[in-house]
Amino acid sequence: MRKRLLAALALVSLHAHAVTLDDLQQRFASQPVVRADFTQLREIKGMAQPLKSSGHLLVAQDKGLWWQQAQPFPLTLVLDDNRMVQVINGQPPQIITAASNPQMFQFNHLLRALFQADRQVLAANFAIDFVDQGQGRWRIQLTPKVSPLDKLFTRITLQGAAFLEQIDLSDKQGDGTHIVLSHQQLEPKTLTDDEKQRFVF
Amino acid sequence: MMRSSVLFSNRYRLAAVSWGAVCLMLAITLAWLWPRATVNSSVLALLPHQVLGQAPEALQQGFLQRLDGQMVWLISPGDAASPAAAAWWLARLQAMPALKQVQGPISAQQQQAWGTFAWQHRNNLIDPATRARLAQGGAAQADWVLAQLYSAFAGVSSQEITHDPLMLVRGAQLALQKNASQLTLRDGWLMSTDSAGRPWYFIHGELANNAFNMQQSHQLVQQLTALETQLQQRYPTARVVTRGTVLFSDYASQQARHDVSTLGVATVAGVLLLVFAVFRSLRPLALCALSVGVGALAGTTITLLCFGELHLMTLVMSLSIVGISADYTLYYLTERLIHGGQVSARQSLHKVLPALLLALSTTVLAYLIMLWAPFPALRQLAVFASSGLIAACLTVVCWYPGLVRGLPVRPVPATFLLARWLAAWRRNRTVKFGLPGLVLVLTVIGLATLKVNDDVAQLQALPQPLLHQDRLVTALTGQRADQTWFMVYGASAQQTLQRLEALAPHLQQARQEKWLSDYRLLPLASLQRQQQDAALLQQAAPAVMARLRAAGVQVSEPELTPEPVTVPAWLASPQSEGWRLLWLSLADGRSGVLVPVSGVNNSAALARLADSLPGVSWIDRKSTFDQLFGTYRLLLSGLLAAAVAVIALSYVLRLGFRAGLISIIPSLLSLGAGLAALSFGGHSLNLFSMLALILVLGIGINYTLFFSNPRATPVTSLLAILLAMTTTLLTLGMLVFSSTQAISSFGIVLCSGIFTAFLLAPLALPSSKRTPS
Repeated sequence: MRKRLLAALALVSLHAHAVTLDDLQQRFASQPVVRADFTQLREIKGMAQPLKSSGHLLVAQDKGLWWQQAQPFPLTLVLDDNRMVQVINGQPPQIITAASNPQMFQFNHLLRALFQADRQVLAANFAIDFVDQGQGRWRIQLTPKVSPLDKLFTRITLQGAAFLEQIDLSDKQGDGTHIVLSHQQLEPKTLTDDEKQRFVF
Repeated sequence: MMRSSVLFSNRYRLAAVSWGAVCLMLAITLAWLWPRATVNSSVLALLPHQVLGQAPEALQQGFLQRLDGQMVWLISPGDAASPAAAAWWLARLQAMPALKQVQGPISAQQQQAWGTFAWQHRNNLIDPATRARLAQGGAAQADWVLAQLYSAFAGVSSQEITHDPLMLVRGAQLALQKNASQLTLRDGWLMSTDSAGRPWYFIHGELANNAFNMQQSHQLVQQLTALETQLQQRYPTARVVTRGTVLFSDYASQQARHDVSTLGVATVAGVLLLVFAVFRSLRPLALCALSVGVGALAGTTITLLCFGELHLMTLVMSLSIVGISADYTLYYLTERLIHGGQVSARQSLHKVLPALLLALSTTVLAYLIMLWAPFPALRQLAVFASSGLIAACLTVVCWYPGLVRGLPVRPVPATFLLARWLAAWRRNRTVKFGLPGLVLVLTVIGLATLKVNDDVAQLQALPQPLLHQDRLVTALTGQRADQTWFMVYGASAQQTLQRLEALAPHLQQARQEKWLSDYRLLPLASLQRQQQDAALLQQAAPAVMARLRAAGVQVSEPELTPEPVTVPAWLASPQSEGWRLLWLSLADGRSGVLVPVSGVNNSAALARLADSLPGVSWIDRKSTFDQLFGTYRLLLSGLLAAAVAVIALSYVLRLGFRAGLISIIPSLLSLGAGLAALSFGGHSLNLFSMLALILVLGIGINYTLFFSNPRATPVTSLLAILLAMTTTLLTLGMLVFSSTQAISSFGIVLCSGIFTAFLLAPLALPSSKRTPS
């Protein structure tokens, strides 16, 4: 009797764990701040070795994305609702606003949508193929359906479980980018003063 | 006696025949001119030519015409994105002969051609940001190239880095994107999305014919309206918005046409009824029509001879003013009506001639003051009105003594009332002092509350739907219709580009100072700058390459051979797509380029900036016009004051100090009452009200002069003035109802001023001393 009950419970919980894109969005929505390390491998056809870079990133729902490459050279990228800021090697920041370059800004929204599994933005730009891989793992394959995305990428693949763990971008030219996220942290749930400063330009 | 009479008769016949010959010549000339003349309805043509500063006239006109010929359409299919409706619209536009260069989607071929040209000339199309990085040495450029390479979203391919290791094409492209409007590329179409999420597809084109022809403009606007109905039948959720100067000018000309037809008909009917009521005969009607007709004929012919064209607004206003020439006929006919029994037609003419000529000359002088105004339409008005009035007066003088033979003689209607009115002025102190006093009080109150407004927008009453469309286009495209530019010009294309390069750093500074919020610079460097860039590239390239290799990026040496880009080559390339409008070269090589500026905060500072640089002028059409309006309003105020002073002096010399000063009071108070009425009517003072005041002065003096004519009896004068005033109010009074604010305020000042002048004219009665009270 007891075993049966347990089995039934297991069955129910197994069903409950079948992940959907909505679940994912809800889960990510409950993570107001995510901090992580990243390593990126960019393979460009015809180039002898891939370009490897690594650093830290921070996604804050109310602020935006802070992407700091530490290796092989320092580069900071900040995306918020109306600006895109890039700082290279201590050069003055290059600021692109939504008003001055809306085309470029599509990427901004897209990048943040990728990190937050924002279904609405994703569905507007891609055909979405969501796969539940079992044991709480999932994979989303995105095929661009609007230009200029379709001119750049053949496919974007996101994978993860509790967190987003891997992003693969395959370019139209046959090149690819492979980003692995690790050491995700959800605490503290609000930005520290130091972290807030990262969004000030 | 007999001899002199025959002589006089011969002279008279000669005058009548000569005037007939002149009229015939005028008619023949007009018949020849009319089919060749253009009736101009462009609001621009109303405005002074010199608003573009020092730039060559041909360049100014070329640019203005081109800008006014631009058309933009945005087509939304509904909530879902689909270019089908826009494609349907595009095909219809392309089939219209009134339009040219209608363009919609950008084909893959065009995009490829764009890329080929950009790559071929990459060493010569350096953008300012890349130039700045190169100037710091190679490291800054190398960092930037690396950042692009490492970025997952930049999409740098091995092909790109192999062919263009310095990424010059990418730099130039990013710079251009930064300059781009709010439009994005989707399915090959430039498009935008409004706040409700509706997609809008962008189409642009030009008028095939640059000249502003009312007929063609109206046809085009009607065709577009019909097309819109068809579009909505086919695609029920679709919507179209349009921007183009032609929409506004067509609206203005339709408005004016409406004014001419309805106001004109009402005016003519009113005058005819009035004249018939007084004379009870059809012949005076014919005579009034004849003098006004000859006036209109002469005015039209001479204006066309002088200017080669007629502005629609001139036509509207002049025809009303020439209507005043009926005054001369009325004055003469009134004289005949009363005294026709005792004196001959020629003796009557002799009696009224001095007053008639004095009246004509003062009125014509008043109109000729308008020649001072820098507005072509007003100069036309001055020429039209004065030649028309002279012709009408000559018609009365030369022909009417012969034509009035047998006209019925009747007692003056309402003699009793007129006599009592005159007697009241002599005996009743309440009337004599109270009436002017009352007008004075009203004048003071009115002047105290009078506001001044030199806003040029008053010239046009713009309809809300058109303004709404225009705002929507601005919101969707980010392209404002601000009409503010710098114009840079030079003796050659290269000099123009060099001057543009000299202006650039100043513009950046102006943006920092917040004098303006944005500007668009032509993305083409002078050959001189291209040479400097080539040297910069040679210098920086080794350092860039060394750093790229150190970072593990293996690339071959860049090809740095310059391929200079000349202006004609650039204009012929797809690179200049969307920029060509801003460049204009004349046959002799003189060239100009426009730098559109938006969000202007300090037009005066930008004007000073332009003045400090050679070959640069600042164009802020609206602000310049507002300024001109203000300046000329002040100038006319001065002229008016001078005219009043001269008239007062002549009165004092003719009538003595006391009577002279009293005689000027009606004129002064009529001016004051005109302004007071303007203020009470909620209007503000501008150039047009000043012009009306000049006419009030001119016409008001007529009344005083008719009264002071010693050969006429006061009652005859009063009747003539009453008739003249009523016809004037009937003709010019119609202007009050014009939908254009400028014209309507012109009418208000005229009517109230002239009515006051009539009311107070008996103050100048000379007979008060002679007749015992």
